[in-house]
Amino acid sequence: MMSKKKKSASQDKIDELEHKWKRAVADYANLEKRIEKEKNHFIKFSNAQLLKKLLPILDDLELCENHLKDQGLTMILNKLKEILKSEGVEEIKTQGEEFNPEIMEAMEIIEGPKNKVIEVVSKGYLLEGKILRVAKVEVGGGKEKEIK
Amino acid sequence: MTKIIGIDLGTTNSCVAVMEAGKAKVIPSAEGRNIIPSVVEPVKNLVGEVAKRQMVLNPENTVYSVKRLMGRRFSDAEVKKSQKMVVYKIKEGKDGMAVVEVGGKTYTPQEISAKILAKCKSDAEAFLGEKVEQAVITVPAYFDDAQRQATKQAGEIAGLKVERIINEPTAASLAYGLEKKKGETIAVYDLGGGTFDISILEIGEGVFEVKATNGDTHLGGDDFDERIVDWIAEEFKKEQGVDLREDKQALQRIRDAAEKAKIELSSAQETEISQPYITQGKGGQPLHLTMKLTRAKLEQLAGDLIEKTMKPVELCLKDAKIKVSDVEQIILVGGMTRMPKVYETVKKFFNKEPNRSVNPDEVVAVGAAIQGGVLGGEVKDILLLDVTPLTLGIETLGGVRTPLIDRNTTIPTAKSQIFSTAADNQTQVEINVLQGERSMAVDNKSLGRFILDGIPPAPRGIPQIEVAFDLDANGILNVKAKDKATNKEQVITIKGAVGLSDEEVKKAQAEAEKYAEEDRQKKELVEAKNQAENLVFTAEKTLKEAGDKVKSEDKEKVEAEIKNVKDILAKEGSGKEEIEQAANKLSEELQKVGAAMYQGKSQPSEGQPTEGEAPKEEAPEDKSASAKASADKAEEGEVVE
Repeated sequence: MMSKKKKSASQDKIDELEHKWKRAVADYANLEKRIEKEKNHFIKFSNAQLLKKLLPILDDLELCENHLKDQGLTMILNKLKEILKSEGVEEIKTQGEEFNPEIMEAMEIIEGPKNKVIEVVSKGYLLEGKILRVAKVEVGGGKEKEIK
Repeated sequence: MTKIIGIDLGTTNSCVAVMEAGKAKVIPSAEGRNIIPSVVEPVKNLVGEVAKRQMVLNPENTVYSVKRLMGRRFSDAEVKKSQKMVVYKIKEGKDGMAVVEVGGKTYTPQEISAKILAKCKSDAEAFLGEKVEQAVITVPAYFDDAQRQATKQAGEIAGLKVERIINEPTAASLAYGLEKKKGETIAVYDLGGGTFDISILEIGEGVFEVKATNGDTHLGGDDFDERIVDWIAEEFKKEQGVDLREDKQALQRIRDAAEKAKIELSSAQETEISQPYITQGKGGQPLHLTMKLTRAKLEQLAGDLIEKTMKPVELCLKDAKIKVSDVEQIILVGGMTRMPKVYETVKKFFNKEPNRSVNPDEVVAVGAAIQGGVLGGEVKDILLLDVTPLTLGIETLGGVRTPLIDRNTTIPTAKSQIFSTAADNQTQVEINVLQGERSMAVDNKSLGRFILDGIPPAPRGIPQIEVAFDLDANGILNVKAKDKATNKEQVITIKGAVGLSDEEVKKAQAEAEKYAEEDRQKKELVEAKNQAENLVFTAEKTLKEAGDKVKSEDKEKVEAEIKNVKDILAKEGSGKEEIEQAANKLSEELQKVGAAMYQGKSQPSEGQPTEGEAPKEEAPEDKSASAKASADKAEEGEVVE
């Protein structure tokens, strides 16, 4: 009787340790997979922070260009856009499109065809197909809707 | 077995964390953020960030702050209050409970919350790469049974088995490891995006008791942002005569700028708000917004909001019947507690440094994950056994302990080292497996010993015997000795190489410390002896090989020194210095013989390298390959790593 009891106690211990070991190995294996994924992600998106910080400057320059209509400024802007493009940054098409909350954020409803983007408050950008910054847009509320 | 995740199901934002290899890790959402907005559009089934982005377009169908409705009757005062604030429709449902109506269909708050929880679940699954079926969910300490029950149901609807519902302040305490304290009083100050909560807890024997709670369900970070926006607009109006709040696009830009400024002022003393072409003047000329906001100014703008939190704190202490000085720990939760002024105000009130080392947005989810880890059996002190508590090694020449696996090595681990024989024509070695921290073999615990025989006769130091230690995760040690020439091997399996009680480990370490000096001396003595013996061996060999090439008077001198060294070695209690002195004398005489032999030779090219240097040559590592004429004892000698 005694030895049986003892055996089951040590068996329990073995089971417990085996369980823990399996868990640790599984954690490790999963970590490896994730690190691989993150490494790839990192290579692709390591510039995201910097690029994100540059976007407001692009916004400002565009506002400035709209006002000044200066050819020199347009040239500078185009250079900057080229650089962003070469880094995989792509503007999200919004004007006149159907509103899509995956890539746009609605700021307001204004007069215009229902659910269509009427005004772009700030442009959105994708980096390698993933959202870098969502577009902030004003969306049409349809004619039947009363607009304040 | 699957992981138990921890979920902070918040009024404005939710957060998920999980225990991984003994540490809590916050799980990023599919959108790449650590928090998920608690917003749901049930018709198109949009949840989180995406639902929030279309809220303006679709306000009647977008449900937010549903936590305020959880488990409440339609007639509750809090529900009436919510009804005034939100755009979506709140109705009376079954049994008088509050439900929401979206797109002509009614949803219970549980069903809405379930959509948030389902997103938490699927994001966690994507992150972990495995199924998630169990969760610990947090609720405010003031939640009653019906509200807790509703939260549990929400989890079940989402396909999660709710292993436990725990209080948010308790989770925050767990994240700081405060459960180990005994009889401490803790204040948890939680200032989030839209709500403020203060809780007083008492811990006893690992049990958290909520003594009192208080708060303001409509005070948070959004109010701070609003103050900044108003200030910017007022200043601009003073300067330019244009009210930016009337221009929706401009308003949106200053809202973003205000939030950014608020965050920057948590670390900087001053920040620049700069928005060119913000609007147009009366004459159509462009107007730019450029101003400086200092931390001092922000504190002045929002000072009363911070002060407003202190009244509930006082009431809470009163309800708990606790004096300010009785509070031993203060924990800060919620993004707004990053603001230095909030921290200082709380510190001044309690006259103590609040805890804030864990990210205040994530601390509740982290605590929930720790609770999940405890329930899943992952968090246990037994994890400490994953390192070897004591050094493992073997006995080598002269009774010296040579370590193979050092103490505190994380297991499983394997190490091997090549050893050799200590005497000419030695055909067997004995491997004595040792555990302990002492330098001498006899002072350590012998776990087992075995003999590897059948080594082909060879001069000492030539055979290569590989000794391999393999310690597995269960603490089972396999020791293998293999003769590289014949591939003959012997194996021993030792169980319990790790399984030591804490006392045993402490005792062994204390002993090692206590005897460190004594051990060192003993070891040095043995090494000196080994060297001296090796020298005697070499000297005798030299004389024999040299034959009559050595002058007889030189030979006598060397023989006398050999005898002297042997006598000292044979004598009980000879000191290290005494042995070294005698050995040095012998070495000198032996060198003279060598030199004389070279002088006597006309063709030195034929000669052997000076035999006097032989000991060094044969023993690249001093202590190891020293020779000993008697081959039966102390067989191993370390030769190469």
